[in-house]
Amino acid sequence: MIDLIAALLMAVAAVTSIVFTYLAVVEKNLIQAVVFSAVQSTMYALIYFLLMAPDIVLVYLPVGVGIYPAIILLLIKKTDKVDE
Amino acid sequence: MKVTDLVVAASIVALALLLSYAMFLGGIGPVPVRSELRTLALNYILLTYNPAKIIYSALAPEGVTAIVWDYRGLDTYFETAVMFLAIISVVALTHGCKVRIGLGKGGMSLIVKTTTRILMPLIVLAGVSITMHGWLTPGGGFQGGATIAVATVLALVTYSIDTLAKHGIRKKILLAMRSTGLIGIALTAVALLIIGLAVGVNAYIFQNQERIGSPLAFPAYFSGTPTGGSLLFYNLFEAFAVSAGLSLAIIVTSLREEEVKETLRGEGVE
Repeated sequence: MIDLIAALLMAVAAVTSIVFTYLAVVEKNLIQAVVFSAVQSTMYALIYFLLMAPDIVLVYLPVGVGIYPAIILLLIKKTDKVDE
Repeated sequence: MKVTDLVVAASIVALALLLSYAMFLGGIGPVPVRSELRTLALNYILLTYNPAKIIYSALAPEGVTAIVWDYRGLDTYFETAVMFLAIISVVALTHGCKVRIGLGKGGMSLIVKTTTRILMPLIVLAGVSITMHGWLTPGGGFQGGATIAVATVLALVTYSIDTLAKHGIRKKILLAMRSTGLIGIALTAVALLIIGLAVGVNAYIFQNQERIGSPLAFPAYFSGTPTGGSLLFYNLFEAFAVSAGLSLAIIVTSLREEEVKETLRGEGVE
């Protein structure tokens, strides 16, 4: 039963990550695109957690949600906020 | 959001679901049986902490850290070196740029600053805890270091680059910390080899416990608790290197236009 719940959660997280990846690619507003990308990272972290890989989760959370969006946002600040 | 966007997203999701269903049925290739533990995985699980077979064991209960820093230590060393190279190139791009105090507005409101002041020590503490339990529970040097670097990001965003510079978090110091970490990892890797050469016994690089033909070993227990031998040192130095390296990358990317432009112009004249 727990296996089934975990598998279902993983499927939901995987599908959500696909949607957010697509949104991050097509979004013209770069700041929103970074947020979509961070949501996708969170979904991946959830999948790793459910796959019983806590070591990867502990890397993925600070890097995927903290440092990577921060660096990208700092770089966007130096250029245009909207992709023409 | 347009209707076309939704249709495209839905079709991509449908494709992914169909592909995974085909994979589940075995249409793309044979699917490994779930109950079957592969021999390689079984060996790691049985040998990671096995005082009866020290010659094959890392004497650390955490399998992943044992694989990363003991069984496959050289791979991880070069990975760390590659990251060091990336950060060095980022620093080289902005070579000579200095933080000029008084350019920005001085960060966010008092509420955000106070909250950050409470949160930052907790984040650093969590990072240190992840590092210091790296050989006992999931986590390790990279995980802990990345968590500590998040505290720098928070401080940079809520306070300002000026405040960081005032408190001594500067490029040079971070680069020195980063180099110290990498040198520490390299020294830990060859420590037993140097001792072996001095004493006249066989030893290997990235040796942790006794191995075939070499009686040397790092101390595996500290007051009854397993330390994983060399894993303790690798985790500490890696956390040092990663936290300083990522903080450095963040600080260099947040340098302001005025600071960078001046240096670039100056170099062009020379």
